[in-house]
Amino acid sequence: MAGYRPSYSRVFLTFARNSLVRDMSFRTNFILQSISTVSWTIMNIGFYLIVFQYTDSIGEDTGWGRDEFFVFLATTWIINSLVQTFFMPNAQQFSELIRSGNLDFALLKPIDTQFVISFPRVDWAALSNLFMGLTLLGYSLFQLTTRETNPLILDWRAVLMYPFYIACGTVIMYSVMITLASTSVWLGRNQTLYNFWFYITNFSRYPMEIYKVGWGMALWVFFTFLIPVLLVVNIPARIMAKPLNTMETHYWQLAGYSIFATLICLTVSRRIFVRALKSYRSASS
Amino acid sequence: MPMALIELNNLQKTYRVYQKKEGLRASIKGLFKRKYKEVQAVRGIDLQVEQGEFVAFLGPNGAGKTTTLKLLSGVIHPTAGSATVMGHIPWRRENDYRRRFALVMGQKNQLWWDLPAQESFRLHQQIYGIEPDTFQHTLDELSDLLGLRELLSQPVRELSLGERMKMELTAALLHSPEVLFLDEPTIGLDVVAQHNIQQFLKYYQEKRKITILLTSHYMKDVAALCKRVVIIADGQIQYDGSLSGIIDETTNRKLVTLQFADPIDKRLLGSLKRFGHIVHHEAPRVKLGVTRDDVPAMLTAILDAYDIDDLIVEEPPLEEVIADVFARVSETSATQSELGLSRSNDTQVGEAE
Amino acid sequence: MTTAVSSSSSLSSRAKTWWTILRISLEERFVYRGDFALGTLMRFLPIITQVFLWGAIFAASGNNAIQGYTANAVVAYYMLTMISRAFSSMPGLCSGIALQVRDGEIKKYLIQPIDLLGFLLITRVAHKLCYYAIAIIPFTLVFYLCRGFFENGWPEATVLVAYGLALTMGFLLGFFIEASLGLVSFWFLEVTSLVFVYNLLNFFLSGHMFPLDLLPEWANQMVRLLPFQYLAYFPAAVFLGRIEQDELWFGLGVEACWLLAFVVLSRVMLNRGIHRYSGFGG
Repeated sequence: MAGYRPSYSRVFLTFARNSLVRDMSFRTNFILQSISTVSWTIMNIGFYLIVFQYTDSIGEDTGWGRDEFFVFLATTWIINSLVQTFFMPNAQQFSELIRSGNLDFALLKPIDTQFVISFPRVDWAALSNLFMGLTLLGYSLFQLTTRETNPLILDWRAVLMYPFYIACGTVIMYSVMITLASTSVWLGRNQTLYNFWFYITNFSRYPMEIYKVGWGMALWVFFTFLIPVLLVVNIPARIMAKPLNTMETHYWQLAGYSIFATLICLTVSRRIFVRALKSYRSASS
Repeated sequence: MPMALIELNNLQKTYRVYQKKEGLRASIKGLFKRKYKEVQAVRGIDLQVEQGEFVAFLGPNGAGKTTTLKLLSGVIHPTAGSATVMGHIPWRRENDYRRRFALVMGQKNQLWWDLPAQESFRLHQQIYGIEPDTFQHTLDELSDLLGLRELLSQPVRELSLGERMKMELTAALLHSPEVLFLDEPTIGLDVVAQHNIQQFLKYYQEKRKITILLTSHYMKDVAALCKRVVIIADGQIQYDGSLSGIIDETTNRKLVTLQFADPIDKRLLGSLKRFGHIVHHEAPRVKLGVTRDDVPAMLTAILDAYDIDDLIVEEPPLEEVIADVFARVSETSATQSELGLSRSNDTQVGEAE
Repeated sequence: MTTAVSSSSSLSSRAKTWWTILRISLEERFVYRGDFALGTLMRFLPIITQVFLWGAIFAASGNNAIQGYTANAVVAYYMLTMISRAFSSMPGLCSGIALQVRDGEIKKYLIQPIDLLGFLLITRVAHKLCYYAIAIIPFTLVFYLCRGFFENGWPEATVLVAYGLALTMGFLLGFFIEASLGLVSFWFLEVTSLVFVYNLLNFFLSGHMFPLDLLPEWANQMVRLLPFQYLAYFPAAVFLGRIEQDELWFGLGVEACWLLAFVVLSRVMLNRGIHRYSGFGG
């Protein structure tokens, strides 16, 4: 028996399966949740359709016209839905486990504790946003490639890099989230976890160009280098929405840095997580 | 000397607790300045447990029993001291260690609430890497023993408390742990369910010869299962030995119940008082507490003087004896702190932040 | 209300009960300090992105004003909706009621001489008081720093009075709408999705997401028929002087009608719900 390693992928599949079984036993809830997720995205489109009635692009000479921006929006949703499907319920659960003392059981398992905390629940209903994202992505790419003036030509490198950077972005978001959730060990009840998460990631939802005005530069630096949430959507969206050969040098640099940032985020969040476990006190009953 | 299977040396755990003060003003002050106090949950426990023992931890609430079990499971880190279980240091949480023991807590559940227990079991199989054949065999055996077969496919939330506890036990035993920690496994259960679980544990332990540490409030659990009893109170071991030894060592009383042929009147009760104190009387019976050494003399005297129908001499109930021990401990610690001898229990450690 | 208040002594004892409840909930709030500090701080974060987003939109549009809003006015609007929402949002109210119904904790209110809605309202007042007793400091600071966005300065006194009324009624309206939603749990146990849908609609239709005036005319007309606008848009628009004098009092009147409707609704739902509940024998 010694030296046996559990198969993480099979454990994950069982997690996913169990969650699906559970979600299906609350079918009405599942359907309602999917509907509300979808209506949220529709409201979002609605908002930007209104905005684009009054302007042609977000920011002067940024190249974020309506369809380019919709690629950006689609990218936001895709990453968000991945985070919400796989990580959000677990981060919330983690806070709850700390509060109730049920984290004990996770600590007993002969498997990496961060793994067993990060993946047990899969919120399948949140995946509906992924389909919305992909649909919007397809639609706006179609619009961009078939428009009369200056149509976009899809570059195969961009098509390959896009999913890669989506993955990087998701990992960065996950790291921020698990770090936030870990703070429950010290801060006690952490109802505001979701809000805080929302407000931080809120910065990632817009093209980074809008911050590069006046004191916005400070924000740009902060959310690019300290908590690199600005890279999450911006890098893949930029790669996909606009021709690669027009991509400025500093964007290429940021894209390279993004990989590095992903690794750093993961490492740092892992450290904070381990520290949190050390401070865990295990509430009784 | 070979090491014992479980070995604790001067194990200590201190918590820092935020002291909430009464009143609104104090609460507002608490926003800016907090007072913490240190609570020593475990103040230096030394203990050796050999392979195959079934040991009970007894003690009042907050005595440190559960904390000790959590330390041994590696869920929390100690403040000082050391412990090894099967050669592992628990709080390192090595996978090799975690595969070899299990912890069951009566107050917490680990099974997925909305799913049938068997789904959680399957997850265990994968996490612990149990061979499918072994898994099925173990599961069949456990569910037969505990009478769970029909319940495996029912969502856990629909099970009764007793059934849920049995499921928790099953989950804990699926990977055939060599050491089992049980924290109040029968809490809140009805008598039948308690008895079932006791029977099961007894059978399982005798068959598998595993080592079990159990905490419980129910003396029946302890009496039915454990040859060795460790009384913990005030974060320290107060007694370590056999169950019957507690009575020998900590009390010199016996209970004598007399059934009188004649009606009992005040005069009779009054005259009985010189033999010992009257614990209880309900005609035609009187129960007396008598110093052990006095029993023979007392019996001779009583049989001489009265017409007795029936007579029972017995040990005082375990609960009472143990409650006496607890009471004595809290008395001594109270006196000690009055005298300034307290081992810095609730010392203020200044104001943090 | 449940029992008639017969004498002044029972009135004072009742006042005492309410005071105790208020005090305990205040204490409870203060204990979780970490949560509290974070919560207050982050409320201001979304405004920042709005400043930059609308800055970028206006920069590219080439116009000074969109539907009468300048870039500054939009930011001022968002800041004001934050105040509106501070009054009208009721985090955890609906799910709290649902949880109590599900756990059977609601029985407490059948046994104890406490009115459920009254109790919840008073704890909510406590929460808000407590929150804003502290939050008023950062709020004032932010508004002072951002005073430049308010191009018209302070509105006149009557408008301020109307604003105060609009906010107070916004608070009550928010409370009774969510309480009614929570009471639905007497009939359907799972209301979390309902809350989610409500929050979603609320975000869009209350004007929290953007000034309702930006909607196309037909949509604008429809949205104005719903009670949501009073939870965010209406008070903000009042403050910004976007609503004419006569419209102002009419609007407040309509708001009062909505409020009354939801008070009645929640009361009826509570009575029916409890009746149904005790019918089941708990």
